[in-house]
Amino acid sequence: METFLQLIITGILVGSIYALVALGWTIIYKCSGVLNLAMGELTLLGAYVCLAFYTWGFPFPVALLATLVVGFVLGLLTERLFLRRMIGQPVLAVIMITAGLSFFFRAVVGFIWGTDTRVFTPQVFPTEPVRFGKMVLGQVYIWSFLAALVLLVIFVAFFQYSRWGLSMQATADDEMAALSLGVSAKRVYALAWAIAFMAAGVGGTLLGNINGLNISVGHLGILVLPAVVLGGLNSVPGAIVGGIVIGILQNLSGGYLEQLTPGGVKEIAPFVFMVIIMLFRPYGLWGWEKIERV
Amino acid sequence: MLKINNIEVFYHEVILALKGISLEVPTGGVVALLGANGAGKSTTLKAISGLLRHENGKVAQGSIEFLGERIDHRSAEEIARMGIVQVIEGRRVFEHLTVEQNLKVGAHLRGNGATIRNGLEAVYRYFPRLRERRNVVAGFISGGEQQMTVIGRALMTGPKLLLLDEPSMGLAPLLIKEIFEIITRLYQEEKISILLVEQNAKLALAVAQHAYVLESGRVVMDGPSEQLRENPDIRDFYLGLTDLGARKSFRAVKHYKRRKRWIT
Ligand SMILES: Nc1ncnc2c1ncn2[C@@H]1O[C@H](COP(=O)(O)OP(=O)(O)OP(=O)(O)O)[C@@H](O)[C@H]1O
Ligand SMILES: [Mg+2]
Repeated sequence: METFLQLIITGILVGSIYALVALGWTIIYKCSGVLNLAMGELTLLGAYVCLAFYTWGFPFPVALLATLVVGFVLGLLTERLFLRRMIGQPVLAVIMITAGLSFFFRAVVGFIWGTDTRVFTPQVFPTEPVRFGKMVLGQVYIWSFLAALVLLVIFVAFFQYSRWGLSMQATADDEMAALSLGVSAKRVYALAWAIAFMAAGVGGTLLGNINGLNISVGHLGILVLPAVVLGGLNSVPGAIVGGIVIGILQNLSGGYLEQLTPGGVKEIAPFVFMVIIMLFRPYGLWGWEKIERV
Repeated sequence: MLKINNIEVFYHEVILALKGISLEVPTGGVVALLGANGAGKSTTLKAISGLLRHENGKVAQGSIEFLGERIDHRSAEEIARMGIVQVIEGRRVFEHLTVEQNLKVGAHLRGNGATIRNGLEAVYRYFPRLRERRNVVAGFISGGEQQMTVIGRALMTGPKLLLLDEPSMGLAPLLIKEIFEIITRLYQEEKISILLVEQNAKLALAVAQHAYVLESGRVVMDGPSEQLRENPDIRDFYLGLTDLGARKSFRAVKHYKRRKRWIT
């Protein structure tokens, strides 16, 4: 029973990081209908940027803030340089561009930082685990959870209350109607990319703190895809819940099934779950279908 | 205020939708644009508001002037900034936002808090029903309320010229009456000029001072409303005052798309 509880709680904590990355997927899909295949590389890039700031001697919170700023700028830049000219082109073509971007970013990271595993030194979070009754939780998980939570709350509040947040949602609902009110679709797309970069960067950083940082942090992007699909691709709350569900699932399968198999269950479980859900709910748990107009 | 000078509009470079249309909207006036399905009414509005290019359309000939400036090559955002707002046909609310959030998006270009609050108050004064429904998700409100929401949303932009595309489409007679009373008040009290597209010619001629009749991309007739009301052709085809049944058939063709309403 304790193990079970422990697995669930760690799952939720890690899941909050997945939720951040899932939010990145969702926001781009929601606003522009594009599945951003470079999502994993955005996490990678963000994590290395944060590592760079940290190794230069900035305190971690400052490094994290700097990562957000750099992510924002990189997001705007990426949209302007690579995706702006694709507006109005078939979605599949745009998706191929993002596939190209993923190789590009991966190469950039390899070129600048190499392929060896790096760790944040000195350790960012205290290594002393915290005990709740019989449960033992690493502090890095708790702090990561808090950081992810704060960011998620900020993003959700931004979408619900701010001028640009509402305009982004409006564009997702009905782009033409939003245009008629003077909302610039180009800026909405750019903002979506900026937000995706910020969320992914922080997600990658937090994960890098847990596992160490190398190219494989980039797998996070694809790993989180089931969370996004589960949430329904265009639902922000769906992405958040999906991320947490995937975290729990991954932990449970790791805890209970790993010893029965040659390994890798942890990585596969989310996808199996995704396929099962898709069989019954093709639009995910919270997704809405775009209302088709003839 | 608005002057369209002999414009030609193409969709996808090849489909000629408007074949030389000229019309004028005077400051503070209401002008109606009548015509059957596919005549080019919506296309005319989209050419003015700049939404045309987002449907792969283009003004190939002629010019559109607003307050003395040419606007036919400007972006939708710039045109909205100048004070022109189009209410697209078909009650296109942002379905996953609440009524009030819909209205707030209307104030997108106006930014600051006080303007938005005043704007909301003004809209709620015209449409008290929206105040009651302010926190309801717009996909779930009634068709009439959705029409009020999109008109209110357009008012939030603080427009000088309002382009209304078939506000009566698919609404019950009582609601249509209510909405047209409000449209009348808008130009009387707010001094907003209005270009009104309608298939319901009777209603349109009742509010507008001047009207144009479009037929397959051309203006085939125009004049003061009283004059058009007496015109025998108009009486036949648009007012349904003889028993040709023409108006009935227009109605039948009119595609009123029922919206699926399901959310989350
Ligand atoms: N996006 C588009 N692409 C290609 N052709 C179009 C497009 N929109 C309209 N058209 C064509 O342009 C012509 C005029 O259409 P428009 O929508 O302006 O008519 P309308 O007078 O508004 O009709 P309705 O009463 O049905 O709304 C039609 O022949 C239509 O097929
Ligand atoms: Mg039309």
